[in-house]
Amino acid sequence: MPKHIARLVLLIIGFGALALAAKSFFTVDSFYRFGHYRADSVPEIAALTPAFQTPKACQTCHAPRHAEWSGANHKSVICEACHGAAPGHPDHLKVSIPTDTQRLCTQCHEQMPGRPSSSVRQIDPGQHYPSATQCIACHNPHAPKIEAAAARPVFDRKAAVASAAVCAGCHGESGTAANEIWPNLAGQNAAYLARSLGAFKTGARTDATMAPMAQAVADDDVPNLAAYFSSLSCGASGRRGSGDAAAGKVLAKQCTACHGESGRPVNTSWPRLAGQNPGYLANALTAFREGQRSDPFMSPVAHGLSDADIANLATYFAALSCGATSK
Amino acid sequence: MDPLFQAAPYSGYVYPNETVIPWSVLIVVYPYLTGLVAGSFTVSSLYHVFGMQQFRPVARFSMLLALCLMVCVPMPLLLHLGHPERAFNAMITPHLTSAFAIFGYAASFYTILLLLENWFVFRPQVVQIATEGRGPLQWICRIVSLASNDLSEHAMHYDHKWIYALSVIGIPAALGLHGYVGFVFGSLKSREWWSSDLMPPVFLLSAVISGTALVIVLYVVTSLFRKVTIEEACVKGLVYTLWAFLMFALLLEGVEFASLLYRSREGIETIMTYVSGPLVVPFFVLQLGLGSAVPLLTLTYLILRGTKGRALIAAATGSALLVLGAVLMMRWNVVIGGQEIAKTGKGLVTYEPEVLGREGLIAAGSVLFLPLVLMFLATRIVSPWAEETRAAVLRGRAPA
Amino acid sequence: MKGYTMNSDDQPAVPARRIFLRDISRGAACAGAVAGAAGLLAAAEAAPGKAEATGSDAASFPTPDYDWNQHRWAYCIDATKCIGCLRCVEACKRENGVALDAHHFRTWVERYAYLDGEEKPHIDSMADPVNIAESGSESQYRFANRYRDAKVDKAFFVPKLCNHCTHPACVQVCPTGATFKTRDGVVLIDHKYCIGCQYCVQACPYGARFFNHAKGVTDKCTWCYHRITKGLLPACVEVCPVEARMFGDLNDKESVVSRFIRNNRVQVLKPETGNAPNVYYIGLDKEVS
Repeated sequence: MPKHIARLVLLIIGFGALALAAKSFFTVDSFYRFGHYRADSVPEIAALTPAFQTPKACQTCHAPRHAEWSGANHKSVICEACHGAAPGHPDHLKVSIPTDTQRLCTQCHEQMPGRPSSSVRQIDPGQHYPSATQCIACHNPHAPKIEAAAARPVFDRKAAVASAAVCAGCHGESGTAANEIWPNLAGQNAAYLARSLGAFKTGARTDATMAPMAQAVADDDVPNLAAYFSSLSCGASGRRGSGDAAAGKVLAKQCTACHGESGRPVNTSWPRLAGQNPGYLANALTAFREGQRSDPFMSPVAHGLSDADIANLATYFAALSCGATSK
Repeated sequence: MDPLFQAAPYSGYVYPNETVIPWSVLIVVYPYLTGLVAGSFTVSSLYHVFGMQQFRPVARFSMLLALCLMVCVPMPLLLHLGHPERAFNAMITPHLTSAFAIFGYAASFYTILLLLENWFVFRPQVVQIATEGRGPLQWICRIVSLASNDLSEHAMHYDHKWIYALSVIGIPAALGLHGYVGFVFGSLKSREWWSSDLMPPVFLLSAVISGTALVIVLYVVTSLFRKVTIEEACVKGLVYTLWAFLMFALLLEGVEFASLLYRSREGIETIMTYVSGPLVVPFFVLQLGLGSAVPLLTLTYLILRGTKGRALIAAATGSALLVLGAVLMMRWNVVIGGQEIAKTGKGLVTYEPEVLGREGLIAAGSVLFLPLVLMFLATRIVSPWAEETRAAVLRGRAPA
Repeated sequence: MKGYTMNSDDQPAVPARRIFLRDISRGAACAGAVAGAAGLLAAAEAAPGKAEATGSDAASFPTPDYDWNQHRWAYCIDATKCIGCLRCVEACKRENGVALDAHHFRTWVERYAYLDGEEKPHIDSMADPVNIAESGSESQYRFANRYRDAKVDKAFFVPKLCNHCTHPACVQVCPTGATFKTRDGVVLIDHKYCIGCQYCVQACPYGARFFNHAKGVTDKCTWCYHRITKGLLPACVEVCPVEARMFGDLNDKESVVSRFIRNNRVQVLKPETGNAPNVYYIGLDKEVS
């Protein structure tokens, strides 16, 4: 065999051997362990950090909110669906509270062809309370279903009567106040009463008399007390305001979105105004206007009201029938 | 728009991930180059294996051309890969169910085969330079010749046996090297445009005609430059080859296309919209009309009339150029066309090639012309022309 | 034998014995080289790391708390419940760091709307420019209410994601072994091994895979493997407000997916491909492909 052929053959064999050796050398260790892939990649992927924490994680610190949410009809919507994923919260991440609820809520609830109504209640944003700028004006995002007005709250009457004894001094035996400055509680919406008591307790709402009164009521008693007063039948206050009811009616058009067409709101988180004491109503509006009381919805509404307007509104609402079904 | 990728406009409904076209013009150039390799190798083997003497003038030339093309074949793929530095993964741990995995080994095998064959073919010239040349080139040639100057009858006998054996092995190797490319497309279930058993033969036959056409064009052009007589018998032989394979290629392409339309599977309306719209110019006008029908008619005429002389050469070269264009369009219409028809069967995407960028037209064009540059450089060192004597090489001048 | 006679007249005669010995030694050298190469090959095959392709491993894999031999994951979709709110799409992108644009999705939702008098439905996804315009950005998703004023005969939403097929076409075509199916039934991509050729993107009939331009590798839904190996649900399932998406273990006969498959006539997408997907639907329609 000519020497160039021999050398060529050796070269080819040598190259082949080198290639095989390289193939074996460069094969990563965990390859072929379970199949034709790098076995180490599986634990690598499994070790990635999850972003969504799930409501269980939120429950650790936000138990009351979690309880409210999990007992209501939004319980299939996890916290992070609206608040965004919360990895590293609270140490490394501040979870946001959505502000544009119109946009957020209609993502699911806007009436749209193709959306099964059995899955979700749908509204036409153009028709559904267009005067309300935000959905949360009426809807509690954690328990959005607005309870039917006729639903009777369940409460422990004996305990409630005992607790309510001290309230009678100002608010009357049957929940009708002694004078027109203090509010009638009888037949007022339970959720509003509970919220108000809670606000007095925390100091979110200030009043020299109510603060210690509210402090004296235990947390667990608040819903009971509220339900009790709500169950009392409201009578006509009989107190007339000094303003012009007709003028008040015109002004009241901007109030109906939350407070209902005739001063009786559908959402029991908002107070029934119909048949309330005019002096109390006027004071409340004035307090909102002057800043002694503050509320994201009431403050701007009251801002533009003159004293005469306030008097007219108070007179109008006080004259409205509180209705037998105002619970 | 994110500069990392280009979003493609679309009509109808396409899957959201289909709005970025995965395989660009580089993946059109890659089968084109591989096809040219297979084609020019086929021309060379007509002489080396089948002993058809009329191809002697271009035998060595097409062998060298095949090598220069082969060396450039991995380039479009490397430019396309997301991680070209990991390209050898497909050879270190080849997943044998994947046609792509075969590429590494098939291409390496074929490159080595072409290297060996060219080594044998040009060995006398290399030895000449090693013994009588000067400077660094002499040293390089000494190494390349494996420090052996044996050009005796005995040695040349071995050389010829090797050339023959390599050429014979090279034919099925070329079929495998380019047939698998057709299989890459034809074996997929996801695209109706690609899914066909006929894809490998269609690719192979269009490869042969593209290689033959390239040899015709380069032979005529270089002969004109070198002011050398063009062997008419050679051109005639190449014309016959081109004509025969062109008919076969058209037959199979036609059958494939007709079957697709005839079967009329789900999604056919979208395909018909595509065929009668965006595909009209690239397919019917360029590939079929200008690129196939015109050359076919021309070549038939040449053969029927027994045309000779300048008319033959001019018509053959013109037809060859058109065929080169046709085969490029065929690759384009398969690769790009397949991706423009969405997997939903309900929409069409439009590929807008970028000009600059790693996967742009300039990059693709450069890769396409690089083999010719390599050929030019190679012919500075060795002479691929049959009639060149050793004396010419000794003078240290490669043919113009 | 040619070699054992005189080569030519001007060469000195070499004894046949020497030529014979020379050739024998060369042959032995060749044989030795071949044997050496074969030996290297055998050593390579027996190299550690390639030995056990099967067999039980002592340690739990892939994590100490999760043994992939214990689970057989599946995914179910009730398309009759989906409201097209796209929480799932946004959650997936957030959970998995998917590019915040309209061209890379691990999961998506399609809307089908049959208008009165038309045979074919109008189909769009959240990536459609009209819907992107409605959402205001490519990183937030919202279906525009484009059929509000039209006479709609029938409309519905269909969520889609990687089907984690039993016979995945994508795994079949991967040249390197960068994509694979785990023992618990999840098709994963090894981002450190993938070369980015995108053959798998072409092979998937469902359009579930895409090229991650930032990383230079392909990407797709992993059924949130990093979550399910920790006892959590995939992000899309977690966040769906109407329980249209379900995930669970088929090894547990009472899991939500086992019950779903048992209690319903379920379908899969493109069964004719033979891929055997593992995402089971109810509520598909003739036009859903």
